[in-house]
Amino acid sequence: MPKWFLPLAIVCGLMFAVAPILIANAPYESTMGLVQKIFYVHLPSALIFLLAAVVCGVASVRYLFGGNPRHDRIAWAAAELVVLFGIITLVTGPLWARKAWGVWWQWDVRLTASLMGWMVAVAYLLLRKYGGPGSDKLAAGLALFGMANVPFIYISVNYWRTIHPTTNVLPTLPVSMGFPVWFTFATFFLLFILLLRMRVRLEEQRAQLDALYLSVDA
Amino acid sequence: MMKRLCLSLFVIVAVSAAAARGPLRPALLFAQQPQQQDEFIPIDQLPPQDQLPAAPLLVTAYSFVVLALFAYLISVARRLGVVQRELDRLQSDARRGRT
Repeated sequence: MPKWFLPLAIVCGLMFAVAPILIANAPYESTMGLVQKIFYVHLPSALIFLLAAVVCGVASVRYLFGGNPRHDRIAWAAAELVVLFGIITLVTGPLWARKAWGVWWQWDVRLTASLMGWMVAVAYLLLRKYGGPGSDKLAAGLALFGMANVPFIYISVNYWRTIHPTTNVLPTLPVSMGFPVWFTFATFFLLFILLLRMRVRLEEQRAQLDALYLSVDA
Repeated sequence: MMKRLCLSLFVIVAVSAAAARGPLRPALLFAQQPQQQDEFIPIDQLPPQDQLPAAPLLVTAYSFVVLALFAYLISVARRLGVVQRELDRLQSDARRGRT
């Protein structure tokens, strides 16, 4: 692991310990009350979900046109993180919605597009696991669709009628609510970097293992 | 002729009966409905049986986040450990083969 990994992991751990205190001390939202506190994990995980999809897509483009296996490893690692942060977003959202909207799910554009984006990442991983030879290129192509979906998910609430809040909410938050949410986002972002590095390391070691097996066979 | 007249009479009676029963049905349904509220009621002023408790939803959400992140971390660490052990074994086998 690189030298920065351990200090960053310690910082991330400390931030994870502080985040619940900040969230607990944040004021209650006037109409939704206690359940609105789900927002402090739902929004950061949703942003990291979109970021991971972009990282996966960009790395896949670079792998498709450059052929560098390092980019393929980054794409594969990022796809797993799309699934991880996507499932967090897709579970915490309905738990909040059940109380705030009175329903678990709405087939509106943002929710449906998010589910589609998550399913594309799941398809990517299944393809990599069971696709056999050549699945790396095929999966890279699939990741492009996942990345193309990201701006659509983000702006959809501003263009289509939905009960999901629009993108204007975040910039207009008071500091007492904005600081905890950005702090949690920074914590999730650090965790994303650490998990991505760990997962890329796993693929590097697998490649090393394959090379070693080939040399032993030869 | 008589047959046609009877049929016409039957159709008229049937249509009249349906028309007479028609308006009654919504009226009956309307009478069965609970009384409608005509203004917004804040969620905290609803009767207790209509309120959904927030705490279980919040606890479930936070527990899921912690469990999902922890499970993934453990999964990656385990996979790394397995590959590392196999690498070490192969490298030592290769070294032994050379000597």
